[in-house]
Formats: sequence, structure tokens, C-alpha cells
Amino acid sequence: MKKNRSGAAALRLSGRRKEQLAGWLFLAPAIAYLLFAFALPIVYNVMLSFERTSPETIAQFRAPWAGLDNYRAVFDDPTSRSAIVHTFVFTAGSLFFQFIIGFALALLFSLRFPGRALARSLVVVPWLLPLIVTGVMFRFLFQAEGGAVNQVLTSLGIVDSPTQWLNEPRLAFWTILVANIWLGVPFFTLLLFSALQDVPVEVKEAAIIDGAGPWQRLRLVIVPIILPVIQVTLLLGFVFTVKVFDLVIGLTGGGPANATQLITTWSYNLSFQVFSFGQGAALNNVLLVLALICAPMYLWLSRGSLRRSRGAEG
Amino acid sequence: MSGVQKSRALRWLCTLAAFGALVVILFPVYAIIVGSFESTSTLFSGTFYWLPHEATLDNYRNVLGAGSANTAETVTGSQAGNVLTSLLVGLGTVVLALVVAVPAAYALSKYRLRVTVILVSALLVAQIVPAIVLATSLFIVFHWIHLVNSYPALILADGTYAIPFAILVLRAFFFSLPNELMYAARVDGASEWQTFRLIVIPLARSALITVAVFAFLAGWGDFIFALTILNGTGIQPVTLGIYNYLGNYSTDWGAVMAAATIAMVPAAVLLAMAQRYIASGLTAGSVKG
Repeated sequence: MKKNRSGAAALRLSGRRKEQLAGWLFLAPAIAYLLFAFALPIVYNVMLSFERTSPETIAQFRAPWAGLDNYRAVFDDPTSRSAIVHTFVFTAGSLFFQFIIGFALALLFSLRFPGRALARSLVVVPWLLPLIVTGVMFRFLFQAEGGAVNQVLTSLGIVDSPTQWLNEPRLAFWTILVANIWLGVPFFTLLLFSALQDVPVEVKEAAIIDGAGPWQRLRLVIVPIILPVIQVTLLLGFVFTVKVFDLVIGLTGGGPANATQLITTWSYNLSFQVFSFGQGAALNNVLLVLALICAPMYLWLSRGSLRRSRGAEG
Repeated sequence: MSGVQKSRALRWLCTLAAFGALVVILFPVYAIIVGSFESTSTLFSGTFYWLPHEATLDNYRNVLGAGSANTAETVTGSQAGNVLTSLLVGLGTVVLALVVAVPAAYALSKYRLRVTVILVSALLVAQIVPAIVLATSLFIVFHWIHLVNSYPALILADGTYAIPFAILVLRAFFFSLPNELMYAARVDGASEWQTFRLIVIPLARSALITVAVFAFLAGWGDFIFALTILNGTGIQPVTLGIYNYLGNYSTDWGAVMAAATIAMVPAAVLLAMAQRYIASGLTAGSVKG
């Protein structure tokens, strides 16, 4: 009996080092992958943005030093500048409407009504489709001739001649906004819905007993409780929206007259259409900085999961 | 009206509102499916038909057969081959994601390692990095190591969608497994690998399916890496096929609709068959793209 117990202790002791080794072996593929698929491209993208690239230099991996020329070229280019502005407007507009609509639907789904489960399972559909499909889908709906949107508007008497949604710069921008709102609403609905489920019933009941009306209950009780989820959702929504690419390529291709060009689509154009990889990389870095602004906040909001790492097995 | 009647009326009002929202959400999908069965002349007639008008399978015959009928400047191959390509890419992404993510998630939740906090932070940040940033560099890197236009290149790139998400979701799942399970296996003389392989993996089945479903959809639906890393001469997934039907001046709508409908099939199948896993994956705080 005694021998057995000390045997187990010895096993656990030698297990410490064995555990470290096994842990590192289990992590090795992931570390190798992260270095290859994230660290290398990000570092290389920074290098590229300071190089004078041409189609010939692609095969050589390195190109002559260009200093800040690529950044200067990008910020002097009116299309790049407008793409940056478009990205901001597109992101702010998307988040605003996605949040309002998503929250309204989440509140609706947290009530009890016939058909609730079915409605909730179907609401995620836009999220599962390939993004390029969503793009061409809305291109079809917004056609001037034979598009469903114009047909509804004319039959309701709102407009009397077909609206040129995709040919007028201002209207085209609205089409990418509408398509992206459609795309993002399920994400907001689902995350906010699951947060609402976690609000304790007693808290809601206490607020009712205290005489709070529905609007007061929402503003003073429910929103403060689910605020962390609202923050994470808006943050992820932001990150997701600044990288939208496929949707715009499928819907407008960045046109007409670059009116729907975002940082992503214009960067693609610079790198892969005119083969100015240096300028594309410079614009990519603008986008990367924009996206990574969120990183500290995201890490802070995920601190629960991070702190757990230290406590694991403790 | 009595209170009971009133609340019943209110419930049906909610049903009405929810289904009104669903109509808006599902209509674009419906429109594209109806469009895929319309003849070319109907699609170019200038009228949108709410129900199939002179339904035909011609569009499917065209895209699955010889290729696009109308758009001469963008000659694309048969979508039948593209479907196979997309399936391979999707399955390849699943395999890569599982091989890389499962052991890593296990180590990050059940082993006490100094690197854990750094690595989990890196994974959270990795989810934020836009695909276009990776695509520009990866194109040149793959060019350099002669991997452009190949399945391994595309699958390695598509892993960037799936792997950080997979590790974080699986890690959260592994936390729910009691540590005593691992202790017991060790005391019984199992090696670390045996514990992982024979005890942990079988218990993680449902989390593995969730991760696999999302990895497949990421690989199947990828467009940006296919557009940049493939040069358009060899392999071509369905998403790229759809893009190639979009002409500069005229679009072959019949072909676009049929190919887009085909591209939606996996999402529909998985939503019908694996709804439970989709719901749990989506609320795991995922982010796509």
C-alpha cells in the first residue's frame, strides 16, 4: 500500500518535466503555423511597404529600399484617401444599424412566442453563406432593370422610374452598406440574445416590482448587465467590418468611379491589378493599424479567459 | 379583452414580427434560388418574377457542363470540377485545423506552461488581422517557395480563418473536462499522448464537430485567398467561378445564380444536419473573415 502511494508521488514529480515537454510538443504545430501564416506575412508586409517593388522583384522576395515613398504615394493618391474615408463611414454606418436591428431582434427572440425556435435557427442564414455569394445576391437585387428592389419601390409608388442603384456613386455606397447590415445582423442578434438569456430572472422581476417601465428596465437594468457583451460584440463587429472585401467585389467591384472602394479593395487593386505591391502593403499597414487599435481592448475584455490560463490545473 | 387573451394576442404579434424579419433576411436567398431556374430571356426581360417563370434547368446544365454561355471574355471551366476543388479545399482546411488546433487547445487548457498567456493573446490578436494583409504577403511568399496555384498553399492560407477560432473554442471546451480524468489516466500508466488520444479526444467529439463545420465553411467559402494565391489557370473553387461570370459590361446572370445556389448548398446541408453545432460555434464569440 505504502509503496504504491510513494510510487504515485514519484510519478507525479517526474511528471512535471514530462508534462512541460509534452505541452510544448502539443503546441509545436500551432506555434509553427502562427509563425508561418501570421507573423511572417505581417513582418513581410511591413518590409514590402518600404521597398520599391515591381513585377520582376516578386520572384526575388527582396526589392530595393524605397523609404517612405510608398506611404507618400498612398496618401497623395485621392482614391486611397477616399477609400480610407469610405472605410470609416462604411464601418460606422454598418455598426450603428447592425446594433440597433440586432438588439431589437434579440429582445424579440427573448420573448416567448409560437415559432420562436424556428425563427432563431433561420436568422443565422446570412452568416453561413460565402461572402462572394452575398455580394452577387445583392447585385442581382439592386439591378436597375429587373431588380427586386426597384420592382418593389415602383409597385409601391415610391419611385416612378427605375433607380440606378449601382451606377450612381452615392446610391452604390448605400447598396454595400445595406448588404453588409444584412450580413451582420445575425451576429449581433445571436450574441446579444445569448447575453439576454443570462440576465437573472430575479433582477428583472425586482425591477418590475419597483415599478420600472419596460424602457427603464431596458436602459437601467438590462443594458448595464449585458454591457460587457455589447462591448465585445461591437468590437468584433468593428474588426469584421473593416476587413470586408468579398462582399464589395461581388456587389460593385469598388465602382462606380471608385465610389465604393474600401481600403481592402483598393489595396487589392494596387497589389494585384497594377502590381504595385509596395503601395498595396503600405495601405495594408494603414488597415492593420486601424484593426489592431482594438487589440488591447479585446485582450482586456477577454481577460477572464486569459487569467484562466494561469489558473489552469492550479 | 381579458389578460390571458391580451397576452395571447401579444404572442402572435411577436410571431408576426419575427416572421416579418425572417422574410427580409431570407428573401435575397430565395430570389437567387428562383433566379437560378429562370431562362436567360426571363433574366434579361427587365422584370423580376416572384415565382419561377418558365422554370428551366438550363443554367445548371450550362455551369455544370461546358461553362458560361454568355460571357465570352471570362472563359471558365465547368463548375462541376470547381465543386470538387471547393470540397477538397474545405476538407483540407478541416484536417489542417484539427491537426493544429486540437493538441494546441489541449496544451493551452490542461498544461501549466509559461507561454500560455502569450499564445492565447496572440490567437486573440490573430483573429483581428485582415485577410488582405495576409494575402498580399502570402502570395509573394508562396511565389518564392514555388507553391502558388496549389492546394497546399490555398489550404494553408484558409487555415488563417479557422485555426485561431478553433483553438479558442476547443480550449474553452477542454476547461470543462475535469482534471481528475487526466490524473487517473497518468496513474494508470498512460503516456501523455495516450491520455490525449484515448481519453480526451473521444470526449471532445461535439466540440470537434463544431470546429470542423466552421473550418469547412471557411475553406469552402473563401474567396480572397483563391483570388490572390491562385493564378486562374489551374485549380478554381466555386467562389472564384462565380466571380469569373461577372463580366465588366454584361453579367451572365443565369450562370451566376446557378453557381451561387450551388455554393450555398453546404451551408444549407450543415444548417439542417448540424444545427446544434452551428449554434454553439456561433455563440462561442466567433468572427468570420
